[in-house]
Amino acid sequence: MHELPDGTARGFDPRRTGQDTMFVVRKGDALHAWADACPHHGTPMAWRRHAYLNAAGDRIVCSAHGALFEMDTGRCTLGPCLGDTLTRISVVLDAHGDVRLADASRQEASA
Amino acid sequence: MKIVGLDELVFGVDDVAACSRYLVDYGLKDAGGGRYEALDGTAVVLRHKDDPSLPPGLASGSMLRETVHGAADQATLDALESEISSDRKVTREDGVLRCVDDAGFAIAFQVTVRRPIDLPREMSNAPGAAQHRGVNALGVRVDAPVSPRTLSHAVYFVPDVDKLEAFYKRIGFRVTDRMLGAGPFMQPAGTLDHHTIFLIQTPAAMQGIEHFTFHLGGPAELMLAGSRFVEKGYQSFWGPGRHQMGSNWFWYFNSPLGCHVEYDADMDLHDASWQPRSAPMGADSSQVFLLQYREKWAPGGPPPSATTARP
Repeated sequence: MHELPDGTARGFDPRRTGQDTMFVVRKGDALHAWADACPHHGTPMAWRRHAYLNAAGDRIVCSAHGALFEMDTGRCTLGPCLGDTLTRISVVLDAHGDVRLADASRQEASA
Repeated sequence: MKIVGLDELVFGVDDVAACSRYLVDYGLKDAGGGRYEALDGTAVVLRHKDDPSLPPGLASGSMLRETVHGAADQATLDALESEISSDRKVTREDGVLRCVDDAGFAIAFQVTVRRPIDLPREMSNAPGAAQHRGVNALGVRVDAPVSPRTLSHAVYFVPDVDKLEAFYKRIGFRVTDRMLGAGPFMQPAGTLDHHTIFLIQTPAAMQGIEHFTFHLGGPAELMLAGSRFVEKGYQSFWGPGRHQMGSNWFWYFNSPLGCHVEYDADMDLHDASWQPRSAPMGADSSQVFLLQYREKWAPGGPPPSATTARP
């Protein structure tokens, strides 16, 4: 948790596919994890590794066509997929402040 | 009306620093004043989205604020002004005409700023054909510098493709091919390039720019530039591959400019005798082949089951 300041994001590739498939954003004290797949075409959203947010760090941006999403709800507020939401991925914070995937069938990821 | 191509695309962006870094890593030269130039002086211009000097933005939120077309000469500018001012306001300031097209995009025209460039082509040899690349000359070098040569084309998302096609035909553009379900590839009268604009029909809320691209010197340059861009951490979107319509090699990337950015090379040239083709939009008509980046690898070494130590 301490490695992810408020208003920042980080991508992860827990299944070692060679391409980040999910990312975690921090808004205030809450972490939200999303599948790295824009609801528009299901394609990756960063423009550079870990670059998922706007300049202010208060919106997620899809770098295909500039769509904006709320960090906590994943809802698209501007762009081709207006009204759609990102796919949430369940993560849990353990006692050490590490972030782990809640789904036991996936490989563990920690931040 | 000899428009020769796109001179500039002007963006009003959210994260100027990120976009600046991106365009320099892509290979454009930071020429100062927000201009990021290709070798011939054509450019992408970056401003902050709240910059008051920009034309008003579209309701869709698109960060493209102006498309500047280059004219061959002053006579072309005069003819453009005469034609366009017949039904809308056109301003002329410091030699630049400005107006709004029939989709609401802010557009401008100027005598082209592009400089003549004299650069080699990629030279390949083939059995049966006269030799091109010289003896002892290398076809590829791992450290070869690659720079975008000229602004190639822009693709627009528009709510009424037919209406916008009619507008560009008024100023001398011709349709070279048509992607059914999307729209026309259009060529201005002053170039033989297959297209400098391509229009795609979309709902009004999506209006904006899908991508822009600069021409590179050939397919090897495109593979080198794209691979280096991936290795810097940038996100490949589609490619590398070769399109059917236009034949150009392509490699698209995500970007912080709110649209894709492409490298392209070796686009077809057409004249007035070319008969436009039509094909339904889809994977089969969009490329002849599609490849994917991989990290370098080499075969070799003992099989994993070998138990004897290597000498």
